[in-house]
Amino acid sequence: MSERVILSIGTKKGLFVAEGAKTRRSFSLRGPFGPGVPVYSSLIDTRGTPRIYASCCNPFFGMKVLRSTDLGKSFKETKSAPAFPADDGRALANIWALEPGPGKKDLWAGVEPASLFRSPDGGDSWEMVPGINNHPHARQWQPGNGGLCMHTILRDGNRVHLGISTGGHYMSEDGGETFTAANNGVGAGFTPDPYPEFGQCVHKIAGHPDAPGRLYMQNHGGWGEWDGPGGRRPDIGVLRSDDHGKTWRSIAKGLPSDFGFPIVVHPHDPDTVYVLPLEGATRTCPGSAPAVWRSENGGDSWKKLAKGMPKKESYFTVQRDGMDIDNLKSPALYFGTTTGQLWMGRDGGEEWTSLFDSLPPIHSVKVAVV
Amino acid sequence: MDITIFVPGPLRPYCGGASELFLSAPSVRAALEELGRSQPALYANVCDETGAVRRHINIFVNTSHMRDRDGLDTTLASGDAISILPAVSGG
Repeated sequence: MSERVILSIGTKKGLFVAEGAKTRRSFSLRGPFGPGVPVYSSLIDTRGTPRIYASCCNPFFGMKVLRSTDLGKSFKETKSAPAFPADDGRALANIWALEPGPGKKDLWAGVEPASLFRSPDGGDSWEMVPGINNHPHARQWQPGNGGLCMHTILRDGNRVHLGISTGGHYMSEDGGETFTAANNGVGAGFTPDPYPEFGQCVHKIAGHPDAPGRLYMQNHGGWGEWDGPGGRRPDIGVLRSDDHGKTWRSIAKGLPSDFGFPIVVHPHDPDTVYVLPLEGATRTCPGSAPAVWRSENGGDSWKKLAKGMPKKESYFTVQRDGMDIDNLKSPALYFGTTTGQLWMGRDGGEEWTSLFDSLPPIHSVKVAVV
Repeated sequence: MDITIFVPGPLRPYCGGASELFLSAPSVRAALEELGRSQPALYANVCDETGAVRRHINIFVNTSHMRDRDGLDTTLASGDAISILPAVSGG
């Protein structure tokens, strides 16, 4: 069978799977799976036989993990979902991130309240990662508007990067045994100290295997006009690190807003990075005109990409996992909106078309070519 | 002390398809603890890791919500029925 482009789309009303040929002229849609239940995170695991995993955040009966071994034609619950030990005192509220672990069947899950779990068997059993879950800072983290969530898990050999809202960026250099806060240069607008040790509202972190040590971060920006204690904090929203996250610097100059949620790196060029700026006050597109912005020089300058998108009267939000990019030779970007549209931007975002117009509010979009 | 647990349709896959379960327990708390031992997959749908009944689950003893009696400490008598019902919520 020829390669297919698979999209897993997590929505307020379940998971949808879209499938199309590599031409990406059209996509068929399947679902919803876990109907009626919010899906905040999914993973298209291309190691070996492709599997699709989805978090299924059932408000009645608790969290489930769904797994498909037939490219999203059917899903079954795994044997268990992450759960805190009985004597921990915390209870799982949501699953915000599913990522492959180092072993062939290893899965990692970032959850709410902010914690990390590992599964050695593709999601059938889970164990808590004490190095972060019992970190001295963990009980001091505070929930953001989306809850106290661990939404980013990035692995780079023995290095593990975690993004927590609101906890900041934490890094392990021993495979996840121990973690330290690494937020030098990451600002916070909602604390008197503009650069605290931890507690930042990190929205998303992205990296690229061809640029070890380089990371991009979409942080909670929108504090350029703040006139309270600590003063203005312009341009703290879009950041870059070149030392594995130990220090960060702003790359927000040239963007219409430094607020946003997703940040995505081009699959073939670590200098090319994409953000989707939103107005800080409304979390909607500046001027009600949506646009993705692209930098091709690691954040030194930015270009607006909006051909084919509405020029006015658009008031959606794109959430932290709502944008992804495929890895074809000329990759396409995809983003899903809180108003239920799924957009595709061909040629790295040069020209946009709406693939689906009336889905439920979209929480997350993942793409893979399998 | 024979207590009947009525299981709603969405939760029957977690207890082998049973619509009713039978156990002996002097209180709702003890009944749920027994459910945790005998039907752990079903129990995880009803209570979270701390033992609290999930927010959108209602527990009735016969026709009374347990919150209108003594909550988890509501005493049970032989022949009582516990109903597990999802709350009316969502949007």
